[in-house]
Amino acid sequence: MSADPAPLVEVRGLEAVFATGDGLGPVDLRIEPGEQVLVVGPSGAGKSTLLRCLHGAVPHAVHAEMTGTVAVAGRDVHATGVADLADTVGVVAQDPETGVCLTEVADEVAFPLENLGTAPEQIAGAVRDALDLAGAAHLEGRSTDTLSGGELQRVALAAAVAPRPRLLLLDEPTAMLDGDGVQAVRAAVDRVTRAGTAACVLVEHRLDEYAGPDGTSGLPGRWVVVDRNGRVVHDGPAADVLDRAGADLLAQGCWLPLDAELRVVLGSGDLTSGVVRDGLRALAARAEEQTAPEPEPGPGSEPGAAVLRARGLAVAPIGSPRPTRRRPVTPVLRDVDLELRAGELVAVVGANGGGKSSLLTCLAGVQEPLAGTLEGPRPGLVLQNPEHQLSRTTVREEVAVGLPPGPQTEVLVEEVLRELGLLDHAEHNPFRLSGGQKRRLSLAAVLVHERPFLLADEPTFGLDRHGTVAAARALAGAAAQGRGVMFTCHDLRTVAGYADRVLVVGQGTVLADVGPLDLVRDQRLLAAARLHPPRLVQHLAAEVGGSGELRAVLQGLDDAVAGLARPATAVVPV
Amino acid sequence: MSRPETARRAPRLELKDIVLMVMLGVVFGFLYWALVQAWNGLAVLMGPAGDLAQHVLLGGWLIVAPIAIAILRRPFVGIVAEVIASVIEVVFLGSPVGPILLVVAAIQGLGSELPFAAGRYRRFGWARYAVSGLMGAGLVFVFSAFRFDWWGQDILLLRLGLQLASGVLLGGLLARVVVDALVRTGALDNFAIVRDQADRRAPVARRER
Amino acid sequence: MSWLERANPTVKMALLLVVSLATLFLLDVRVLLTLYLLGLVAAYGAARLDVRTLALAQVPFLLFAVGLVMVNAVSRPGEPLVEGSAVRVTVEGLVMGVALALRGMVIGVLTVAFLATTPPRDLMASLAQHARLSPRYAYSMLAGHRMLVAMPRRWATIRAAQAVRAPLGRDGRPRLGVRDFGRAAFTLLVGSVRASERIALAMESRGLSAGPRTVWRPVPVGRRDAVLAVVVLGTAVAVVVGGRLV
Repeated sequence: MSADPAPLVEVRGLEAVFATGDGLGPVDLRIEPGEQVLVVGPSGAGKSTLLRCLHGAVPHAVHAEMTGTVAVAGRDVHATGVADLADTVGVVAQDPETGVCLTEVADEVAFPLENLGTAPEQIAGAVRDALDLAGAAHLEGRSTDTLSGGELQRVALAAAVAPRPRLLLLDEPTAMLDGDGVQAVRAAVDRVTRAGTAACVLVEHRLDEYAGPDGTSGLPGRWVVVDRNGRVVHDGPAADVLDRAGADLLAQGCWLPLDAELRVVLGSGDLTSGVVRDGLRALAARAEEQTAPEPEPGPGSEPGAAVLRARGLAVAPIGSPRPTRRRPVTPVLRDVDLELRAGELVAVVGANGGGKSSLLTCLAGVQEPLAGTLEGPRPGLVLQNPEHQLSRTTVREEVAVGLPPGPQTEVLVEEVLRELGLLDHAEHNPFRLSGGQKRRLSLAAVLVHERPFLLADEPTFGLDRHGTVAAARALAGAAAQGRGVMFTCHDLRTVAGYADRVLVVGQGTVLADVGPLDLVRDQRLLAAARLHPPRLVQHLAAEVGGSGELRAVLQGLDDAVAGLARPATAVVPV
Repeated sequence: MSRPETARRAPRLELKDIVLMVMLGVVFGFLYWALVQAWNGLAVLMGPAGDLAQHVLLGGWLIVAPIAIAILRRPFVGIVAEVIASVIEVVFLGSPVGPILLVVAAIQGLGSELPFAAGRYRRFGWARYAVSGLMGAGLVFVFSAFRFDWWGQDILLLRLGLQLASGVLLGGLLARVVVDALVRTGALDNFAIVRDQADRRAPVARRER
Repeated sequence: MSWLERANPTVKMALLLVVSLATLFLLDVRVLLTLYLLGLVAAYGAARLDVRTLALAQVPFLLFAVGLVMVNAVSRPGEPLVEGSAVRVTVEGLVMGVALALRGMVIGVLTVAFLATTPPRDLMASLAQHARLSPRYAYSMLAGHRMLVAMPRRWATIRAAQAVRAPLGRDGRPRLGVRDFGRAAFTLLVGSVRASERIALAMESRGLSAGPRTVWRPVPVGRRDAVLAVVVLGTAVAVVVGGRLV
């Protein structure tokens, strides 16, 4: 035994290889008590796997062949097991629905304390303290069935910190949340990490949203970068790592905080500086050059073009039973009047639980409206969770669902698979695809029906930077081909960059039908719909002269980031 | 240095195995409930035949046991999974059959498990699934016949035939179809059904992207 | 809080099981009818169920009972009720059918009273405390309860996704058949199996194991439960014995 104070976490020569052949490591990592570490890297690099190795979930719950050692507080993780480490390590995972297991908030937070044998008379106080720390004190008496995703994550965080762990592991704690939820959870994580002596390891990929107004300085000070093959390539202070690897990370599709992104693309991270202003203007000019002139006649002005029209619509929440006289169903949205015309891309924005998804299922004609009328041809619908759409054994069969069998369908399927880059996976089981591939598959399976209207529920959710831009462009492309496209989105940067029109949902109805620029300039409307535009969009709202310019700047920046990726993809064999 | 995770399975079930059994009970309990909603109306319309019609779906009750055994490959899993499913049915879904269902579940779980136990939880051919469904349905038939005093009825053999057929199809062969399809999705990669196979294979080579 | 709500869930469950099993040995219509009426009184008085809820809860049992009476009436040998009618209804069959139906109704009314006064959380906590049920099973069941509550919404979403792509029937509605029900069920199953792994990991990382643990808000057990047991068992025995004597 060495006399030196041991580090809290000591990882030596760790390598984990899964049955799929994917691997992580080698990893050597020392984390001192109280230290804050951020793990970044492209999708599928094994960031979550690294976290799971630190509390024994790999290999105890998720199997992998392991070499090397992981020790936490002097205990060998491999020999200890997940449950026995619970007194030292607290964990918050991605999915709020499965991260909270019991039906009462107080029980959930007390649960780890009971498991660790805390004296019952001390539990009430500890539960209250933990809820306080996680910004969830007001939720103590609630049932978990009634909580939003953001509230559930705060309860999960409270449960993770209740036993006062020395190490806190956060695996994309805001991945499934809307803007409001991200802010609340982030504030809670800040309080928890600042308050105690707990060290914290955070995996996060929506870094700009997570960082908030503070930018890079609002994130943990030490960054560990994992590359696409699961190797740790950088480990050091945030500024150093960004200097060396910022461009690489951006090129691989990682979201970076705005200041870091601007520094890579334009050479300065200061939005108000002249360099950035001129740079953005130049990018916008180039983007405008590349865009084809507006096709004439303009969207929907063609006489006789199809229109999807709703009048006085009242929308029931998804999954609510058929209303009866005795058990009426309360609508999530009422008095909805809207039109979707051919050739336009319309965004639907608003806080989670506001009825955006329900509105789309209602417009798609699969959930009867409680009141009002709906007319127009049958639209296609892409769901938020692509797995809900899957049911066949191969990707090819999945795309052909609902089409008459025959050579014509086969050609159509082949075409759409090629278009969305899925041809290599045509014979694979759809459930085994990666998250991004599943999303493309769910889009392909609806596009192939060639319906005049396309509705998409959060099509950019959980995607990396490249995936988000590609999805937005695919929708814009579908609109340019003459379809009417409507999508829900919580990311106002994407909305401002690509949508022609925005429907703002809030307070049980459609509050406004406005242009993207008008929305981000209207503080009252933003507050009423509980929307928080990202810093870049806020800044541009004040700077630009019109909607076209806003869009050009944002698309120009997307082009520039996509440009970073091109040389890299040319070198890497596929 | 290398320490491949080929250590023998722990003597007792892991937590994820238990939660899986609960989840099977929840999913099939929910589906059964959804189906019965439609079924009850039909059964009333059919009058005396309604009581018989219930037998057609009986096999659906059995399916949880063979699925759980095939995935987890451990003794008693069939019985435990069935009892858990019945608790969910009674306590969470408020089944009108009441606590008798717990007894029924234990009996049919035992019946479904015996053929797999005879194969030492290593053989999972079509025939074994079929016999599993047959025995589950058969054992529970004996108990039901006592419970409803079917012995004196003219239609005893008709009842027996319907229940056994339903057991073989829905409670046996369908289980194998479901298990095979589940394996292909990758959802079972961390459970014994896939792990046991992998342990016997050569270690995987790491893949570069 | 009603009297039954304050009783211990494990004791209630054990009594329910004993009485239910005991009815399986009863075929006397008068005894079963008395037990059923007493069950109704208990549900109204001790469980404080209002008349409407109680009446609605009887509907499934009555439906089940009607089928049971009918099938027994026509399928048992014995004295025909009406000579020479097209369908042969026997007196023995009718009596047997009524008895079997009443059995189900006795168990049913007691189960309703039990469920109405026993939250799942208390039942599982009590089973862990008083019936030595492993906490790993008890808390897995509670997590399952939470998942069950979320099922209808997930199911509706999956069915909506199917309906969007399904061909339309002659009435203009999406045409979904039995195979589609099966496919949707499979989709639900895959998602649920994945969810079960995440739930298990969440509970394990919060220290749930087979080892000893403390209980913050224990479910009480006391004299009230002894009284309940004596009253329930005593009444049941008295009714059965009374039936034999009269």
